[in-house]
Amino acid sequence: MAEKFDNLEEHLEKFIENIRQLGIIVSDFQPSSQAGLNQKLNLMISGLQDIEKCRQQLHEINVPLEVFEYIDQGRNPQLYTKECLERALARNEQVKGKIDTMTKFKSLLVSELGKVFPEEMVKYKAIHGEDAPS
Amino acid sequence: MTEMFSTLFGQNEAQGPPGSSSLGFGPGKPPPPLPQNQASMTGQMPPQLGDEGPALRKPGAMNEPFYLLRELPVGNELTGNTNLITHYNLEHAYNKFCGKKVKEKLSNFLPELPGMIDCPGAQEGSSLRSLIDKPPVCGNSFSPLTGALLTGFRLHTGPLPEQYRLMHIQPPKKKSKHKHKHHRQQDPLPQETPSDTDPKKKKKKRDDDPDRKKKKKDKKKKKNRHSPDHPGLAGSQPNSNSLR
Repeated sequence: MAEKFDNLEEHLEKFIENIRQLGIIVSDFQPSSQAGLNQKLNLMISGLQDIEKCRQQLHEINVPLEVFEYIDQGRNPQLYTKECLERALARNEQVKGKIDTMTKFKSLLVSELGKVFPEEMVKYKAIHGEDAPS
Repeated sequence: MTEMFSTLFGQNEAQGPPGSSSLGFGPGKPPPPLPQNQASMTGQMPPQLGDEGPALRKPGAMNEPFYLLRELPVGNELTGNTNLITHYNLEHAYNKFCGKKVKEKLSNFLPELPGMIDCPGAQEGSSLRSLIDKPPVCGNSFSPLTGALLTGFRLHTGPLPEQYRLMHIQPPKKKSKHKHKHHRQQDPLPQETPSDTDPKKKKKKRDDDPDRKKKKKDKKKKKNRHSPDHPGLAGSQPNSNSLR
């Protein structure tokens, strides 16, 4: 899995470096640079071919759209991962609190009902004792 | 199923006032209370009658005196009671992203990428969102440029106009080090590391003497002059025959 990304990353880095050098050549062009420019252009095309080949290995990879918003804003996409984990933990704690509260309520209710309806609660516990309690 | 309903509400009609309103379907009138002998019949109602929860228990002596006693839902092993981050082995990821401070800028995530990447992509029309909204034409094969096609890439000599120069090439941040002398003395912060892709320049991180900085700048300028790929990057240097 990581190899697929490494391969793509390598091709992208080479491609970007080639484009950067192309930009430098173009920024102050000399006639003698024409051959180099032509070479860089064809290198750019072969770079695109290589990246196209990498695409087949990565068609199963899904990227959340929210990450694109971070990148478009010039923000670190790791912040998205961080916020996802923080939200997951906060939600986990929230649900855990609800479960704990409901469990306490249930035990309190059963005990109070046992005081008011002792015989019925014995029957109730006998019935629900057959089921798997939560 | 309808027989059950008619049996139930048919007996109610005899007791209540005549008309459909006695069945409780009329506006503003509550349904009449069911007599005691109907309790066992409702217990026999099949579970499909609007029952959204767990199935009703079968009537019998074991469920008395409880009415409509439902079975408990099947317990799920994985609930919010469990620490899901530990369960899915994400502790390392959590410590990595939430334990340390994650830098804000995109250039901190991609330090080797040239160009002004911290600016919003929408400004330059290079956003990923536009790529999704208007996907480019795909499916065509990439073929190398032939001689005839390359004639279109014959450029005029000389530097680019000022507004296009260095548009996408961020100047190496090492050149601006002299502006941040106070940072330099305390050890440079990682976010000030230049995004230059030259591997030799990446190794150099400490400069304490201003004289040393000037010497390094001079050396770099000389290298740039003599390099075939750097024919006067800043544009301030006169065009020389150094390429040959």
